[in-house]
Amino acid sequence: MATRTKRYALAIDAKKCIDCKACVVACRAENGVPVGKSRNWINEELHGDWPKLMAVFEPEQCHHCEDPACVRVCPTGASYQRPDGVVAINSSECVGCRYCMIACPYDARFFREDLGVVEKCDLCAHRLDRGELPACVETCPSKVRVFGDLNDPTSEIHQLLEKRQYRVKKHEAGTGPQIYYLL
Amino acid sequence: MKTIEWQYLIVSYLFLGGLSAGLYFVSALTELFRKDDDPAQEHIARIGALLAPWPVMLGCTLLVFDLGHWYRAYKLFLHFRWESPMSIGSWLLMLFIGISLLYAYGWVPRGGREHFYEKLPRRLRFLRMFNVDVAPWRRPLAIAGLPVSVGVAIYTGVLLGAVQSRPFWNTNLVAQLFLFSALSAGCAFLILVLAMRSREFEMYQFRSLYLLDVSFLTLEFFIVVPYFIHGELSVEAVRESLKLVLGGPFTVVFWVFFMGLGLVLPWAIEVREVAPLFLTHVQLLPRMRAATPTLAGASVSVVSELSAPTSAKKLHFSRGWAVAAAVLVLVGGVLVRYIFVFAGQMSAIR
Repeated sequence: MATRTKRYALAIDAKKCIDCKACVVACRAENGVPVGKSRNWINEELHGDWPKLMAVFEPEQCHHCEDPACVRVCPTGASYQRPDGVVAINSSECVGCRYCMIACPYDARFFREDLGVVEKCDLCAHRLDRGELPACVETCPSKVRVFGDLNDPTSEIHQLLEKRQYRVKKHEAGTGPQIYYLL
Repeated sequence: MKTIEWQYLIVSYLFLGGLSAGLYFVSALTELFRKDDDPAQEHIARIGALLAPWPVMLGCTLLVFDLGHWYRAYKLFLHFRWESPMSIGSWLLMLFIGISLLYAYGWVPRGGREHFYEKLPRRLRFLRMFNVDVAPWRRPLAIAGLPVSVGVAIYTGVLLGAVQSRPFWNTNLVAQLFLFSALSAGCAFLILVLAMRSREFEMYQFRSLYLLDVSFLTLEFFIVVPYFIHGELSVEAVRESLKLVLGGPFTVVFWVFFMGLGLVLPWAIEVREVAPLFLTHVQLLPRMRAATPTLAGASVSVVSELSAPTSAKKLHFSRGWAVAAAVLVLVGGVLVRYIFVFAGQMSAIR
């Protein structure tokens, strides 16, 4: 959107991922995610035949789409998009209908039975507001994740995406995902 | 994380909401087009109107208890979000429940209403201010409610179809399928109730219901067919999702129980029941020829044949077959919603 002053996004260099799951643990600790649920996760794919095997690890979470399906279908406006592009949930407005979970092409949301509301990654919006990085980005030991403002030409993510080739997942869903997987 | 979030409560609601919409639609349509001297038509309109509000109200209760917080349901009515089918639907449901209750009230027999207010305990006497005759508003209410009932029936399908990430749902045909399935369920439920209770009428007097139901089932059939043709000619994600009913876990329930027992079989039964209406010239020809040599006379004898109770047996219209067909249609209506709710959530863009 042209009017945004900031557009937060995440670039992921999956080749560096060693599947240590520090990001998942950090997120769990930071956001109080209950056991059995996850705001972020690591996809694991095996390629080739034994003995020539290759494992690919690909971290994933909410894609903070430019045109988020979850926000569109939410009947109360509990799911919303911040001016900086972060898609977040206002828990006090969430009625727990779970329409957003069904609408999300990435299945990035989960239902908290104990609270009766839907949750998902909000890029640690509370940390962003303090000028800090999301917990998963800060904790990643192999520097898989690059977080930043796409609209700032001096930011690392802006320069990285200018130089490197990348892809986004399920482009055809038409929601404008903002996690860029570097090739 | 992939989970099936909407389960049996949602399936039941989608069915009950559609059933109410169908009952209202059929009742209102009958009221608008009935002849004043036809007590059977008035009976159809009355029973349909009196039944219509209750299934959707039960369905809405189920919906509320499906929420994470049932007591937060009021928040749905603090917002109106035109982009969200659920938001539009919640408002539409409230409007529909209001109109259908008022319409039903207009069909409560005068004596019953007077008796009710007469018997009120002293403390509730103030309720007597509602002792008004709404019967003159039946037709305006029927006209106002028809588009709302169609809206309620369509919206249950739009709710699913408006989700671009579920290829099994993401077509306008789902909304149309749910619409005609709902209208046919309303018809079938009325046929069922009338066949089991209204002994003062012969079933052939309710032939308009059969004709409506046959039309709705036919339309439903011809929506399922293009759903598959179009799906198979669509992008890979859609073709992939159709495998859920073409060899996948829902194949038997879809083709045998929904399409076979819930759609084609009741259609065949009802067509057999109404066939004499169209085939009378074959059956009645010798008698007609004997009675009157002219074409005009022939048509008169057909009409008298139809309205004469003695010919009811020749015209099929048995209560047993009516009940069987209606139950099959209703079961089909539940099944198609079950299949779509579950299979849709299992489908995804890979």
